[in-house]
Amino acid sequence: MPSLTIDGRALTAGTDQTILEAARAAGLGIPTLCWYPKLPIVGNCRICLVSVAGEPKLLPACATKVTDGMQVTTESHAAVQNRRGVLSLLLERYPADHLRNGGRAEPRNEFERYVMQYGVVPTPTWGRDLPLRTGDERPGDPMIRHDMTTCILCTRCVRACEDIQVVGVLDVGFRGEHAEIVVGADGDPEKAGCTWCGECVRVCPTGAIFEVMPKERFSPQQIRHPERVVRSVCPYCGVGCQVDLHVANNTVARVTSPDIEADTPNQGSTCVKGRFGYDFPQHRDRLTTPLIRRGWEKEGGCWAWKGRRGAERRGGPWKSIEGEGQQTKPGTPPRVTGKKVRQLPLLERIDMDIRDRVATPSSWYEPFREATWDEALELVAQELLRIKQQRGGDALACFSSAKCSNEENYLMMRMFRGALGTNNVDHCTRLCHSTSVAAMQRAINTAAASGSMREIEEACDVIFIAGANTTESHPVFGALIKRAHEKGATLIVADPRRTELAGRADIHLQMQPGTDVALYSAMLHHILTQGLENKEFITTRTHGFEGVREAVRAYDPDRAAKITGVPADTIRRAAELYATGPNTSTLWAMGLTQHAMGTDIVTSLLNLMFACGMIGRWGAAMLPIRGQNNVQGASDVGAIPFVYTDYQPVTDPEVRERFAKTWGVSPESLSLNKGLMVTEVVKPESGIRGMYIMGENPIISDPDIAHAEHWFLQLEFLAVQDLFLTETARYADVVLPGASFAEKTGTFVNTERRIQLAKKAVDSPGQVRGDLEILIDLSNRLGLNAPFKTADDVMREIVRVTPSWAGVTHARLEGAGLQYPVPTPDHPGTRFLFADAFPTADGKATFVPVQYTDPVELPDDAYPFVMNTGRQLYHWHTGTMTRRATGLDAREPTPIVEIHPADAARLGVAEGDLVRLTSRRNSMVTAVRVSDRVARGQVFVPFHFREAAANLLTNPILDPYAKMAELKICAVRIEPVRMPAAV
Amino acid sequence: MSAGMSMHASGTEEYQAVFTGATLERLQEILTRYPNRQAALLPALWLVQEARGWISDRNMAEVAELLGLTPAYVKGVVTFYTMYHQHPVGKNFVQVCTTSPCNICGAEDVAMAFLEHTGAKELGATSPDGNWTVIEVECLGACGFATPVMINDDFIESVTPDKVPELVRKYR
Ligand code: SF4
Ligand code: SF4
Ligand code: FES
Ligand code: FES
Repeated sequence: MPSLTIDGRALTAGTDQTILEAARAAGLGIPTLCWYPKLPIVGNCRICLVSVAGEPKLLPACATKVTDGMQVTTESHAAVQNRRGVLSLLLERYPADHLRNGGRAEPRNEFERYVMQYGVVPTPTWGRDLPLRTGDERPGDPMIRHDMTTCILCTRCVRACEDIQVVGVLDVGFRGEHAEIVVGADGDPEKAGCTWCGECVRVCPTGAIFEVMPKERFSPQQIRHPERVVRSVCPYCGVGCQVDLHVANNTVARVTSPDIEADTPNQGSTCVKGRFGYDFPQHRDRLTTPLIRRGWEKEGGCWAWKGRRGAERRGGPWKSIEGEGQQTKPGTPPRVTGKKVRQLPLLERIDMDIRDRVATPSSWYEPFREATWDEALELVAQELLRIKQQRGGDALACFSSAKCSNEENYLMMRMFRGALGTNNVDHCTRLCHSTSVAAMQRAINTAAASGSMREIEEACDVIFIAGANTTESHPVFGALIKRAHEKGATLIVADPRRTELAGRADIHLQMQPGTDVALYSAMLHHILTQGLENKEFITTRTHGFEGVREAVRAYDPDRAAKITGVPADTIRRAAELYATGPNTSTLWAMGLTQHAMGTDIVTSLLNLMFACGMIGRWGAAMLPIRGQNNVQGASDVGAIPFVYTDYQPVTDPEVRERFAKTWGVSPESLSLNKGLMVTEVVKPESGIRGMYIMGENPIISDPDIAHAEHWFLQLEFLAVQDLFLTETARYADVVLPGASFAEKTGTFVNTERRIQLAKKAVDSPGQVRGDLEILIDLSNRLGLNAPFKTADDVMREIVRVTPSWAGVTHARLEGAGLQYPVPTPDHPGTRFLFADAFPTADGKATFVPVQYTDPVELPDDAYPFVMNTGRQLYHWHTGTMTRRATGLDAREPTPIVEIHPADAARLGVAEGDLVRLTSRRNSMVTAVRVSDRVARGQVFVPFHFREAAANLLTNPILDPYAKMAELKICAVRIEPVRMPAAV
Repeated sequence: MSAGMSMHASGTEEYQAVFTGATLERLQEILTRYPNRQAALLPALWLVQEARGWISDRNMAEVAELLGLTPAYVKGVVTFYTMYHQHPVGKNFVQVCTTSPCNICGAEDVAMAFLEHTGAKELGATSPDGNWTVIEVECLGACGFATPVMINDDFIESVTPDKVPELVRKYR
C-alpha cells in the first residue's frame, strides 16, 4: 500500500488508486471537469493537473496512479496558473458576460464555480476571435434540450450515455476547431435509440444539456435554490430508484437522482419516468374534494339512495371502454424531435391534441357532487357495515394498491380483516407475479427474489432472462444488465419479441408465445444427457428430482424445436451455457407469468435452475422482476387473500390469535377462510356486493374489459380512493381524493426485497388527505381501533407481527434502506438468500414435474395473429399517472399496435393507419406502428390506453393455481379501417 | 450498440440500403480481414462513398447498424476525415494543396483556375453540370513539386494555372 503526502497530509492509498481518488478518500478536493465518478477516464480537460515533487511537469490527478513516497501539491503556483489558463481558454468560447460583473454574479453551474474560485475574468464577447460553439440541439424536445454554446467538450455526456446507460446516442463530431457534440447521425435522438433517461443532463457540468420542464415553469432562482430537497422513491417500477424531489412553491419543481456513488438500488441513475414523469400530481384533473354520487341523500341521520335504480344506477354521460374502442381516433402525431426547428411539425397543434385527449372529460363529473370528508366517510362506513350485516363480510372485497406504501396496505388489510371480517383483500399482484409466487411457494416456500440486482453486474457470468423486456419496463435494471453484458457476462434472452436485450444477446431464443415449458424442459433434457446437472445440489438440497427427470424425457431439443420454433442447436447451446455458468442468474417477468398456465411455466424454469444449482450464491440469483414500485411490499404486509404479513396463512388459528390480539378484536371476528383474488372477484359468481378500491383501475387492467366493466354496474356500493376520476372511479358511489407519492411519507419494497423510505415533500392540494389518514379515520368509523398518527406508528405495529422485518424502523431506513430479512434491530439486512437452506420444513427445495400444453387460444384462419400485451417505456399501466405527465405523454400520446413490416405490407397498411383488431371477445380500433421487434404473425399492443384498451381483447381464462389471466396470448384478426377524409 | 435503432423503423420513408448484393459481399470479404467489426469502419465507409458518391446521415446509420456501432460514433469518424464527403460532390473531385509552401508558389491561382475552367464557381460547390467539385486541402506531401493536385485518385505534381485547361479537358 503506497503512502504519500497530499498538500502535506500523509496518507496511505490503495495500490491502484489515482491521485484524485486518494485525495477524495481523504476529503481533499481537486477541481475536475472531464472526470466523473464511474465514467472511463479520458484526461482531456487538464484542469486537475497537480505538482508532484521531482516531476518536471504537472500531472493529471485523475489519470495518474499513486506511487510510494509521492509528494503532491494540489494548489501549487504552477497548478493554479495552469488551471487559470485552462479556464480562460474554455471561456474563449463560452457566453460568460454575466461573470464579468466585478465578481458579483452568481455562478450558474459547476464550470462557472471554478471560474469564480480561480478568479478568472472572461474576455468580453466583442473581444473574442472564435465564435461560440454549436452542436445538435434537440429542438422541440419535450424533456431534454441542448444549448451547445455553453458546451466545454468535456465529453461526460458521451461517456454517461455510452458507459452507464449503454445507449451511445452522443459523440464528438467534427473533431478539431469545430468539434461539437452530435446526436446520432442526423441529430435525431429518436433514431439514435435515446431513451430520454436524462443521464446526460445529470452529468453535464455547464447545463449545456438541460431539462426543459423546470425552466419553463420556474425561475432560475427557484431551480438553483429549492425550498427543500427531499429523498423519495420513484413512484413507478419495482427497481425502486431513490430520487430527490426539489420543491418550489409547494410543487415538485425538479427531480434529480442521488449521487452516483451513493448506495442506492439505482446507483444514481433513473429512467425517463423517474426523472421526468413527476408532474402528474399537478395536473388539472386532480381531485381535490371528496365526491358523492348524486342520488345519495341523508335522511334521519342515515344515508339513503334516492336516485335511479337498475342498470342506470351507476351510469353517466360517457362511452364505455368498449364503445371508445370501436371509435376511429386520431393517429399518432409526428414525434417532436429532430435536428432543425423548421423540420418540426407545428407544436401548438400537438399540445392541444394532448390536452384534450388525456384530460378527464368534464362530463364525467356530472353524476357527482362535491362533499365533505365527514359526509363521504360516513357514507362509506355506513354502507360497508350495512352490507356486512345483511350479507356477511364475504360480500365485501377490496383492491389494495401496489402503488401505496407498506403502511397503507397494512392498514387496508387490517381494516378489511379486522373490521369487516373478510379475507377478500387483494391487489394487482394477481395480474403480475402471482404465478411466480405460486410456483416459488410450491418449490421453496418463498415469495421474493433470492438475490440483488447489483450482483448481476458484480458477480454473474451468465444472465438468463425470460419474458422480460427489462430495458423498457425496468430501464435502470436494464442498463445494469447491458453493462454486465459489456463487461463480459453472457446474455441469453428467451422472448418471442426481439426486444433491445434480445437484439444484444449472445443467444436469443425467439420462441412461439406460450411454449416456454417445452423450451426449458428441452434445455434441462440436454443438460441431463450431457451430465451437466449439479448432482451435489440435487442430492443435498432438493427432492423429487426423479419425477422431473421423467417429465423432461419427452422433450428432446429436436422435438422442442418443432413446438417452440427455436432451432434445436440453439437450445442446446443455451442449455450448456446456462448449466456451466459458473454463476448463472435467472430473471423473469410478465412474459412468463401472465399466462393461464403461468405457474407451470415458472415451475419449469425453477426446475432448470435447481437442477443446475443456480441459486444461493452471490452471482447466482433468482430474480422475478417485480412490476409496481410496491407490489412486493403490498404482498409482504398481507394485502393478499390467503395470508397476513410475512405470508402467515389466514387459515392458521394460531396466527389468527396473534393478529386478533394485536388489533384488539376477538379472534372469532377474523375469518379463517381464504379470500377471493382480484380475478375471481370480478366474476358474476363471486357474490361480491360492495367494494373498496384504493389506487387501482381494474376497468383498464382486467382481462376482457367489457365484461368487467359490466360487472361493476351491478354492485350495491363502490368506493374508490384515487388521485383522479379514473375509468373505474367514474362508476363509484363515493370517490375519495388520495395523496400522490410526493405528498406523503411511507415505505416501499423493491424487487430485491429492499425496504426504502420515501418522505413527504409537498402538501396536498385542496382538501386531499393522505391515504394513511383516510384509512385510519375509516377504520375507526368501522369500529376498529386504529391508534396511529404517522406512518412511523404504523410501521411499529407492522414489525411486531412481521418476524422478517422485526429489526426495521423508519430511522434505520434512511439512506440505502434495508433488504429483509432483518430479524433484529442490529441486523444489516440480507443481500442474498438460501446459501445453505430453503425456508421449507426440511430446508430442501421441491421439484415439481410439469408438462407442456398448447396455449388455450392458438391462431387459426379466423384469428390469424397472436396478440401479446405489455408496457411501453413512456407509460405506466392504465396511464392514470403517465398520461398526465407532460413529457412522457408527449412521447407516446396515442395507442398503437406493433406489426411486423411483412405483415403490414400484406395487410396493405402503413405506419399511422388505423386498423381494427378483433378477438373472440371483442374488437377495437388502433393505429399501426410498423416494427421488426415483433415476429411475423404476432402483434404487440400496449395496455395503457383507454381509447384502445388492449384488455378488451384478452382472454379471462385463469391459471388454476394463481388465478392469473391469459394476458399475454390471444388470437386476433386485423382489418384496415377506412378513415373519413378529415380527422 | 444500435439495437434500439430500428425500434420505430418507419414503413413509409424509402431508404435504399447500400449494403446489398455485391457491395454486401465485398464488405463481408473485408470483415474477414479485421479482428473485429469496428475495425472495418473506414473501408465500409469507402464502399458507401464509392457506391453513392457521398455519405448521408442515413448511410451512417446503416453502417453503424451493420458494424454494431452507434450512429454518433460513425458520424464522429466521418466528420473527422476530409476525404469522406458529407454532401454530394461532382463526378470529378479536385483537391488542391494550398498549405504555405505551395501557397508561396501560387497554389491559390491554381485553385482559382480550376474553379474558372470547371465552372464550379466556389470552393466546395459543384459545377452546374454536376461534373466538378474543387476544394483546397492541407499539405499533400509533395512540397518540392508545388503545386500538387489530386483529381479523384490521380496524383498530379507541378500544376500551374496554364496547365489547368488541359487537365480539365482530359477528365471531363
Ligand atoms: S437521455 Fe439518456 S439515452 Fe438519451 S442521450 Fe441522454 S443519456 Fe443518452
Ligand atoms: S454537453 Fe455538457 S457534458 Fe457534454 S461535452 Fe458539453 S459540457 Fe460536457
Ligand atoms: S479532470 Fe483530469 S484531465 Fe479532466
Ligand atoms: S505544402 Fe503543398 S504539398 Fe506540402
